[in-house]
Amino acid sequence: MIFVRELNESLHRLLETDERVVVLGEDIADPYGGAFKATRGLTTKFPDRVLTTPVSEAGIVGVAAGLALSGYRPIVEIMFGDFVTLTFDQIVNHVTKYGAMYDGKVTCPVIIRTPSGGHRGYGPTHSQSLEKHFLGVPHLTVVAASPYHDPGETLTALLQRDDPVLYVEHKLLYPEHVVRPSGSRVGDAIGHEESTPGWLPSVVLSQVASEDCTVTVLAYGYSALLAARALEELAVEEEVFGELVVPAQIAPMDWAPVESSVERTGSLVTLEEGMADWSWGTEAAAEIGRRRFSQLRRPVQVVASEPTVIPSSRDLERDVLVGSDTMKEAIREAAA
Amino acid sequence: MTAVTIPWTDVNDDSATVVEWHVEDRAEVRAGASLVDVETSKSAIEIEAPSDGLVLQLVPVGGEISVGQPIAHVFQDEAALAAFEEERKKEAPSAPEPGDEVRASDKARARARELGVDLSTIAGAGLITIKDVEAAAGAADEAPPTDLPAPLPGDGKSKRLLLIGAGLGATQVLDILAETDGMEGIGIVDDNVAAWGREVEGVPVVGGTDQMQAHWKSQAFDAAVIAISTSVDARARLRELCRATGIPLANVIDQRSKISTGVTMGEGNVICAYTHFGTGTEVGDNNFISAYNSYDHHNVLGSDISTGPGCMTSGEVKIEDRVRLGTGIFIEPKLTLGEGVIVASGSVIVRSVPAGHAVKTKVVTTTVVPIRPR
Repeated sequence: MIFVRELNESLHRLLETDERVVVLGEDIADPYGGAFKATRGLTTKFPDRVLTTPVSEAGIVGVAAGLALSGYRPIVEIMFGDFVTLTFDQIVNHVTKYGAMYDGKVTCPVIIRTPSGGHRGYGPTHSQSLEKHFLGVPHLTVVAASPYHDPGETLTALLQRDDPVLYVEHKLLYPEHVVRPSGSRVGDAIGHEESTPGWLPSVVLSQVASEDCTVTVLAYGYSALLAARALEELAVEEEVFGELVVPAQIAPMDWAPVESSVERTGSLVTLEEGMADWSWGTEAAAEIGRRRFSQLRRPVQVVASEPTVIPSSRDLERDVLVGSDTMKEAIREAAA
Repeated sequence: MTAVTIPWTDVNDDSATVVEWHVEDRAEVRAGASLVDVETSKSAIEIEAPSDGLVLQLVPVGGEISVGQPIAHVFQDEAALAAFEEERKKEAPSAPEPGDEVRASDKARARARELGVDLSTIAGAGLITIKDVEAAAGAADEAPPTDLPAPLPGDGKSKRLLLIGAGLGATQVLDILAETDGMEGIGIVDDNVAAWGREVEGVPVVGGTDQMQAHWKSQAFDAAVIAISTSVDARARLRELCRATGIPLANVIDQRSKISTGVTMGEGNVICAYTHFGTGTEVGDNNFISAYNSYDHHNVLGSDISTGPGCMTSGEVKIEDRVRLGTGIFIEPKLTLGEGVIVASGSVIVRSVPAGHAVKTKVVTTTVVPIRPR
């Protein structure tokens, strides 16, 4: 199951089965079908409920907010995650505030999907992972697509809630296969899904039994895929064993699966493609440090990209974004 | 041969789809002629032949090709094309080796080769690790090996002893036996597989402790002695193993030691040179007493004790089972060291020590300083 195809099919399915669903975004109409083809075929099949819009991200989210207040379930596509800054005011000052401002009498369940991330040579303004600026916005749920979560299941679960959601989809996940936990396996690895009621599930996987793992690796999105490959290489080549925890929901965070893994391994590394400092990983370090201080044998290691502008040249981009080598080095150190 | 690759035209695409070939496979083409059309998500690209020659198509219509990968080769003549195809056949992946399809770490693969373990016989939920391979090898070793050396026949007069433990303790025991009339070492057992087949002072390691019973039944030896000095727990465990299988233990006593009047001694004791047991001292079973120990009159020693060199007791001292003494220890009269007590080197003991306790020393410091030039 290829991620972008599954995403496209689930949008078709949601429009079919839930008449409240509407889809808005730039250039999402056929025949183009969206910059990454996630919306291909939607305008042909649902011309009245799929709107291709002018280039105004703040406007799109504003319209979506109005639709959501009126009982619709708008799913917005922001063509590149880098443009999500233009929606920041709508999200922070409007979408996430209506519920409280109207004393719980209204809900504003807008879902904003956006392709994000680098490693493609798209340069400074089309390669970023800006979700860290949205972590901790009150009443906003931030969700990240992963190689181990079905986008259809995720969207279906989100439509059953009334929270505003930012759903980030790393571009490099689009052509990847989604591997769902099945039995006690995740593809070739040992693994399972851990879900706390009220939260989206986390997927936990390792190359050997988790008792033999000496580090927990926490990663989301495309970084989770890179981390899984790094962990497989470390296991095969060096017998360094780590357990990977991949949450779908990255804010607010369900720390339970991370805590139970750290209880087994005694060490934690966080990996993210977003820029270092004031990040998802630093929050994880603070939380897990506070909750599991006595079980950690070393400080939590936070790995993130260089806090600078992402270059267009792929060679230079590689020096800025977190890649496999950096991940392996950090995991090796934390596993010792 | 010239490789034809597709150009990178836009950032959206790393690959293209073949739409149409304008030249038949293996047909002739002129440089600059239209060769093939490919399509990315943004554009259609026409690719020209880079040189004159014969075209070998590498991707069919509808097939996907990554940017930078060859879509075709152009050869100057039939011979070059044939040579290339021959080469390509050779490079075709050969049949996989047995065990290749198994997921195992590199270390596990290397160890499996060393130990002759077939990886495909190891069942596991995850990646096979070196630990799994060694466990499997250990299990396989339970089958009696066939190529182990036999114990020595003996001189026909002396009591034939089987040593347990092929470490440095074995050299100490064999050294004592070399000067002891009426006793000789004829074989050694050790549970470390790596030691099997080796010799210690000319005495072969004939297998693990699980082989003892077979050798005992075939009357290959008359008694055993435990030649392990470092672990009192191992001594106790192995003594119990011998007792359970009816194998008697022998005392091995250096002829330079002094056993006074009225000393009683059990079995399985190893007594090294210049050790003194004073009058009326009782010694239990299976103790390993190093050189230059002195247990004065009317001491009582339990069993499975191990001592370092130079331990001295005064009269009427009681040392219970599994006590472990370091080097150079002095013990005042009438004291008792309880079961399992451990005493650090250099201790001077002036009060009794209850069972299960350790004695640390106050001053065991060696300060090393450079010699001051004169």
